Amino acid sequence: MKNFKYILIIILAILALITLSQTIYVVPETQQSVVTQFGRPVGEAVSTPGLRAKVPFIQRVHFFEKRFLEWDGDPNQIPTRDKKFIFVDTYARWQITDPLQFFKRFTNERGAQSRLDDILDGETRDFIANHNIEEAVRSTNRKPDTSATTVDFIEDSLMNIVVGRENIQQMILQSANKRAQDLGIEILDVRFKRINYVEEVRNQVYERMRSERFRIADKFRSEGQGNASRINGEKERELKSIQSEAFRTAQEIMGEADARAAAIYADAYDKTPAARDLYAFMKSMETFRNTFDSTTTVVLSTDSELYRYLKGMR
Amino acid sequence: MQTQKMPDFNFPPGSRDFIARNVKLVVLGIFALILLFSAFFQIDPEEEGVIVRFGKYVRTVDPGLNVKIPLIERVYKVPVERQQKLEFGFRTVKAGVQSTYSRDNFKDESLMLTGDLNLADVEWVVQYRVDNPYNYLFKVRHPEKTLRDISESVVRQVVGDRTVNEVLTVGRTEVASTVQVIIQELCQEYSLGLRIDQVVLQDVNPPDPVKAAFNEVNEAQQEKETLINRARSEYNKVIPRAEGEAEETIQKAEGYATERVNRAMGEAKRFEDLYAEYVKAPEVTRRRIYLETMEEVIPLLGNKIITDEKGNNVLPLLQMQMQRQNP
Repeated sequence: MKNFKYILIIILAILALITLSQTIYVVPETQQSVVTQFGRPVGEAVSTPGLRAKVPFIQRVHFFEKRFLEWDGDPNQIPTRDKKFIFVDTYARWQITDPLQFFKRFTNERGAQSRLDDILDGETRDFIANHNIEEAVRSTNRKPDTSATTVDFIEDSLMNIVVGRENIQQMILQSANKRAQDLGIEILDVRFKRINYVEEVRNQVYERMRSERFRIADKFRSEGQGNASRINGEKERELKSIQSEAFRTAQEIMGEADARAAAIYADAYDKTPAARDLYAFMKSMETFRNTFDSTTTVVLSTDSELYRYLKGMR
Repeated sequence: MQTQKMPDFNFPPGSRDFIARNVKLVVLGIFALILLFSAFFQIDPEEEGVIVRFGKYVRTVDPGLNVKIPLIERVYKVPVERQQKLEFGFRTVKAGVQSTYSRDNFKDESLMLTGDLNLADVEWVVQYRVDNPYNYLFKVRHPEKTLRDISESVVRQVVGDRTVNEVLTVGRTEVASTVQVIIQELCQEYSLGLRIDQVVLQDVNPPDPVKAAFNEVNEAQQEKETLINRARSEYNKVIPRAEGEAEETIQKAEGYATERVNRAMGEAKRFEDLYAEYVKAPEVTRRRIYLETMEEVIPLLGNKIITDEKGNNVLPLLQMQMQRQNP
């Protein structure tokens, strides 16, 4: 009898516990909840965290994320308006804003993700295909900084854009949100994560980059040779000018000196007829001295001034 | 089995009876102890504790020993002081003095389009910290993944607005700082609760297939410098020397000039002095000088033939003799 009472108490306690756990539930900070009765939603969705109660057994509680959720698209191969084939990889942030509506549409998150795939991939495809590639790559019309050494002679300009990356993203977002209007969700942000050429185009781009670089390299070499030649020419010119100027100056100096010397000589020798005589005489004496040597044969007459005394004093 | 070994535990005598008699008390005691231990918890210096009561945020606690209501309150520890990083285009395999990196499978992450529709290979690191634990825990699912997406998008956005030359050379730091600002703004917008400490561009390279061409440009640039330097050195070798030689020529000319004038002056003076004496007795002086000269000159001569006015006929003979001597 006593044992039976114990067992009854234990059974009652277990039943009470089960009922309690069916009645009380916790809504965490990160979640929101919808209560359903026989599959039909009852009352408002709950998005404030804390302890909640519901009718046990008949009502069920469904939890939905309250946080911003990620959506990551598959890389899509899309031709742009100017027929460039690119991969576009997008991501988006979204949130369940109306859990009730969301519950009606999807029941769980996976369904929503796949619906988002349809919407966002489609919108991305549409907008990329309607724009040139640079509109998706560039965001502003800023002027490139050309202070790098290599850019002063290659056409290093950025194409101007009309729409721009930011605006395309915005348009995709608005368009996608319009389509997601009755899904109980809101897309907060859509962005291009990666944009890249498809393999074949990539190789063409590499080829173009290579040829561009080779052109720059050739230009460098030719500039180097040009500059070297210029310096060499300058050198030759300066050399000639230095040498000839020196020659001229030297000649001028010497000429002047010759002139002065001539004047001095003339001044001395040309004073009187007697002086002229003496000069001529002295000069011939000097000439004798300078020109006669052992190979000279001289025939002297005894009539000469020198030897006239040989024949006897007169 | 266990009960047979019990005596080995060396319980004081009679203790087994005590436990048996007070099962309720012992169970309650253990229960109380567990509660006590789950009430106290420690927050490490680099962390902050976020406490929720029935799922609802109630408070944030600082490092040290803290108390919470057992069973009802829960604590999330968030390392707010720890700097964390995300790597793009490579992964650190083993960090250390000589870190090893792997970058084989991350080309998709690092290869991007530049504004002039070229491609660049950009590797970068984002260093961040949790600065709002509440947002970090409750506002965004997978905050790290979100930050990763944001970073990839923003770097491409910024690089997409610059030329490949800018990205590879002058624009590097500017790109990094612009990226940091935009990522921070997006973190705010998404309520990520993260603060970006720094964005560092690591290796920024042209894509592998065009690397050789880029090196070629560098080589050509070096070649250009070399050519110019060589020409300049040749110039420097020749011109100063020519200038020196020019100076020499002029100095020599000046020397010549000085000498020429001095000699002229000397000779003129000498002549004038001689003349002064000469005019006093011209005939005698002349004869004296003539004879003196002859005296000097004649001993130097080879053949000397002295004839008188009747000896003119010896001359043909002499000619014959000389011809024989010098054929």
